[in-house]
Amino acid sequence: MTTTKKTSHLQKYEQEMNVCIRCAYCFEQCPVIREVQWDTDGARGKVILAYGILTGEIEPSQYIADKLFRCTFCRDCLERCPSKVKILEIISSARADMVEAGFASDIQNHVVQNIHTTGNIYGDKEVVSQEREGKTPLFIGCQYLGRPNKTKKYIKILEELGISPVVKKEVCCGYPLEVLGFKKEFTTHKEQFQKSFPFKEAMTLCPTCTIFLQEGHNIDTKHVLQVISEKIPSAQLNMKVTYHDPCDFSRGLKLIEEPRKILKKLGVEVVEMETNKQNSRCCGGGGGILMSDQALSNDIAKKRIHEALDTRTEILVTSCPTCEQVLKKAAQEVGEAEGKTMIIRSIEDIIWQGIQEAKKSAEATKA
Amino acid sequence: MHIDIKKLQEIVGVENVRDNIADRYVYASDASVHRHLPDIVVRPSTIEEVQHILRYANDNKIPVVPRGAGSGMSGQTVPIAGGIVLDMKRMNRIIEIRPEDVLCKVEPGVINDELNRVLKPSGFFFPPTPSSGMICTIGGMIGTNASGNRSVKYGATRDAILGMKVVLANGELVTLGSNTKVDSSGYQLAKLMVGSEGTLGIVVEATLLISPIPKYRAMGVANFSSLEDAGRMISDTIASGITPSMLELMDNVAITAVNNAQHLGLPDVAAIVIFECNGMVKEAVDYEMKRISEICEKHQGTGVKISDDPKEMKRIYEGRQKLFPSLSRYGEGMVSTALADDMAVPISKIADAVHEIHEIAKRNNVVMSAYGHCGAGLIHTKILMDTNKKSQWQDAKKAVKEVYEYIQALGGTTSGEHGIGISKAPSWKEEKKDSLVLMKAIKKTFDPNNILNPQKLMDAPGDWLTATPLRYHMSA
Repeated sequence: MTTTKKTSHLQKYEQEMNVCIRCAYCFEQCPVIREVQWDTDGARGKVILAYGILTGEIEPSQYIADKLFRCTFCRDCLERCPSKVKILEIISSARADMVEAGFASDIQNHVVQNIHTTGNIYGDKEVVSQEREGKTPLFIGCQYLGRPNKTKKYIKILEELGISPVVKKEVCCGYPLEVLGFKKEFTTHKEQFQKSFPFKEAMTLCPTCTIFLQEGHNIDTKHVLQVISEKIPSAQLNMKVTYHDPCDFSRGLKLIEEPRKILKKLGVEVVEMETNKQNSRCCGGGGGILMSDQALSNDIAKKRIHEALDTRTEILVTSCPTCEQVLKKAAQEVGEAEGKTMIIRSIEDIIWQGIQEAKKSAEATKA
Repeated sequence: MHIDIKKLQEIVGVENVRDNIADRYVYASDASVHRHLPDIVVRPSTIEEVQHILRYANDNKIPVVPRGAGSGMSGQTVPIAGGIVLDMKRMNRIIEIRPEDVLCKVEPGVINDELNRVLKPSGFFFPPTPSSGMICTIGGMIGTNASGNRSVKYGATRDAILGMKVVLANGELVTLGSNTKVDSSGYQLAKLMVGSEGTLGIVVEATLLISPIPKYRAMGVANFSSLEDAGRMISDTIASGITPSMLELMDNVAITAVNNAQHLGLPDVAAIVIFECNGMVKEAVDYEMKRISEICEKHQGTGVKISDDPKEMKRIYEGRQKLFPSLSRYGEGMVSTALADDMAVPISKIADAVHEIHEIAKRNNVVMSAYGHCGAGLIHTKILMDTNKKSQWQDAKKAVKEVYEYIQALGGTTSGEHGIGISKAPSWKEEKKDSLVLMKAIKKTFDPNNILNPQKLMDAPGDWLTATPLRYHMSA
């Protein structure tokens, strides 16, 4: 097939798209198709659209671009696909071809511009990391830079556990550029990132950054919970919660036991939701869908809240700030509409509470 | 073809009608090799909406193709004549569950596994077990008379259908069948709808027979150095009066594919047979498993292993489970195509069939593996080939024809569980040549204007390769 400018990114996936037998197994738990029920919106539909664009059987359009951006990148399709087709690589390449054909939305262009001008997704020069000296490089990431209190809490936890993180003035890892299809912009940004974060090993706070530092920058990266799970003290918080596995955590990094180990050590009982661990239902917040279709994201999040309510617990703990944000909004709306309570808490809150409890208990024992 | 989009929007709402090229392109294909654009996609959610759509389509002679998950492998839901694709997924209500009558009533868009999830607390399940159960709809299963790896014990969808409501081509709603397991004389029209691939009416409600979930289960495996021994073991097991809940075969091509892709270290033998028994009484299950082990040994089966430990059972089935992805990645430039994929033969002829399939593949420069629910006589194959090359499609066409000719010579049938659609129609028509006139007459009675999934089954084109554009792009 002749390479055209229109499909320069998709070109190398032609064979991969032939490997897709269009069996629709990716429908099983795709949060988008489960919500909207149009074949066009599932992973198979997106791969078919990408194939059509590549072969010239359909012309790129804003409508197709909107379909391709209607994906949370939750990785569930990768778990279900019997042929292990590289679905997300195909979708992100199709997005790149659509972007280069001029079909990015204003909000997507705006985010890219923000990263270009300020180094973070917010476009706010005041959103910067608090540099500090230490031993282990820590990458904060945009989501935590925008939530400085959460970042401070994680740093305090690390210090309590005897880990001294190094924090540099950082720029975005570039994942938003990659996932939104701005591959050319990512190539330029990559150099800037690597200058600002010149490490071969690192910890991160955000699971998505963890994956992208590994895959996009070849940095040997651990999520901070992997480190914490090895050092967490015992405590007796005597809580019962349910745990929401962020997609990049459970399916991306395959980190399933670490958060549960931490919670158990702190005396927190986890009541599993019907879908959990690698099979967890997505919260609806990933893949840039918050920029392209907030209403859909919210509907998906409400499904997850209902699943959490079925556990008959009142607290949902999670370890990703985006999951926390969308689930909080959904829980509030479900609460208002149905009078049911589901409190959303971050795992670092629970960890901090546990460490304080452990310290108190140790002091009481001493006394 | 002129379709009044406003009329359809009035029936189902604007948000449930799409005629954008992107949607039409996605709904143009299923899991088969075929593709053809519909003119419009419509999503009804009630029986009345289906009736209105069909009245409109019938009056205007517009083709209507019902579609569930679109996971069919023979082109059943490819709208070869354009027209309306009726996406039935919104009709997904479980209407009632009656354990005391061992039945349930559902709409056609209910997903198989979702039904089983809802049935589970009552201690029941819907017995056909298609491997696509997590996504396939009851309507699609009825359309193709689907089954799966437990068909050897529970049969296919037709065996679990008691009755149904169907909207006919003219929009009339009819109730077929009954609520009872026995239903004596008269034409069994509910059963006739099963496997009719949407050519006779649109199923809008189905009454399904459900079964108690077995309390005990055990699984076993045996290796065979000859296909003949494996074939005799399968035949003897079925003839012994034991009813295994699974009796699966993997040939050497399948074993090699799994070992190459998954590094499972399966033994390099002519065939592996996996068997399972289930039931309510542990001693009965144990007895049956022991009897099958003895039959394996009688036919030189080696490495016989049985277990009721869930982890060990998972290990035993792992090779079979991973066969599908392994075949998809068999070799550089080769992909798995849904061609000649589910023939069935009398059980005693399985070894002959598998041997010949290997020979046909060699003669025609393609790779074909044979595996499947051999306890029910069903053999799955896939044709692995370079879909970019035009010449490979000619090779595949020749291989498909030769396979079906041989299967028919053995007294077998073209499709055991995936259906006919477009790809298998030429061979199936040859197999059923004595009854084609009757089938055409039935079709004419149900659908005089030929609007329901036209050009399928007996009306499908004579050459599957040119019947529609292929979903694969060919470069040379």
